[in-house]
Amino acid sequence: MKNTIKIERAINNLTQEELANKVSVSRQTINAMEANKYVPSTVLALKIAKVFNKPVEQIFILEETD
Amino acid sequence: MSNKLLLPNRYKKIGWFLLIPATILGIILMTTQYEGLSLEATTFAIYNDEVLGKTQFFSFIHTNITNTVTGILFITGGLLVGFSKEKTEDEFIANLRQSSLLWSVFVNYVLLLAAFAFIYGTAFFNVMVYNMFTVLIIFIARFNYMLYRNSKLVPNEKYN
Repeated sequence: MKNTIKIERAINNLTQEELANKVSVSRQTINAMEANKYVPSTVLALKIAKVFNKPVEQIFILEETD
Repeated sequence: MSNKLLLPNRYKKIGWFLLIPATILGIILMTTQYEGLSLEATTFAIYNDEVLGKTQFFSFIHTNITNTVTGILFITGGLLVGFSKEKTEDEFIANLRQSSLLWSVFVNYVLLLAAFAFIYGTAFFNVMVYNMFTVLIIFIARFNYMLYRNSKLVPNEKYN
């Protein structure tokens, strides 16, 4: 699964730290998701989508291999 | 997302205060064949059997407790460090902790297997002594390394 967190952060002018605080996770977690090293739980994915005010499918996208 | 088995973050610091002195004590003991330091005390034993001596159950015995104290400090410190929450405890950190635990048990047994196969004689006694602590040591080392690696992956940039 890939995601557009990094792009959305740029659009919303947020640092990793600021986004992490908004969804109450550590900065490492945002970092790992952006590097495609961690697939978030449904709860976290929904929280992130809520921060960016977009449907979750627009931020998290399934890949061929999933 | 809370993990009920973990202690609050402040215990981590207490853990390091126990673990570091215990490690130094342990190294001194190991390098002096467990005879470098001597702390004698009367202590309670559920079971005690001395070499060429009598066997005792539930009794107070007078003995050298240096190894006992070092071991207890080390294990307590290690448990506090390894099983306290991080400052921001979340699902990814929990994931890292679990995979580090899996990794450490696996690596520990691979090392033990190698020791079983290739180390003989009294040296194997040392292997057994180390092996009492290696799961904790490897776990703490691996977990902290993974945390470090994940915070260094990308510098804390604005939009990179």
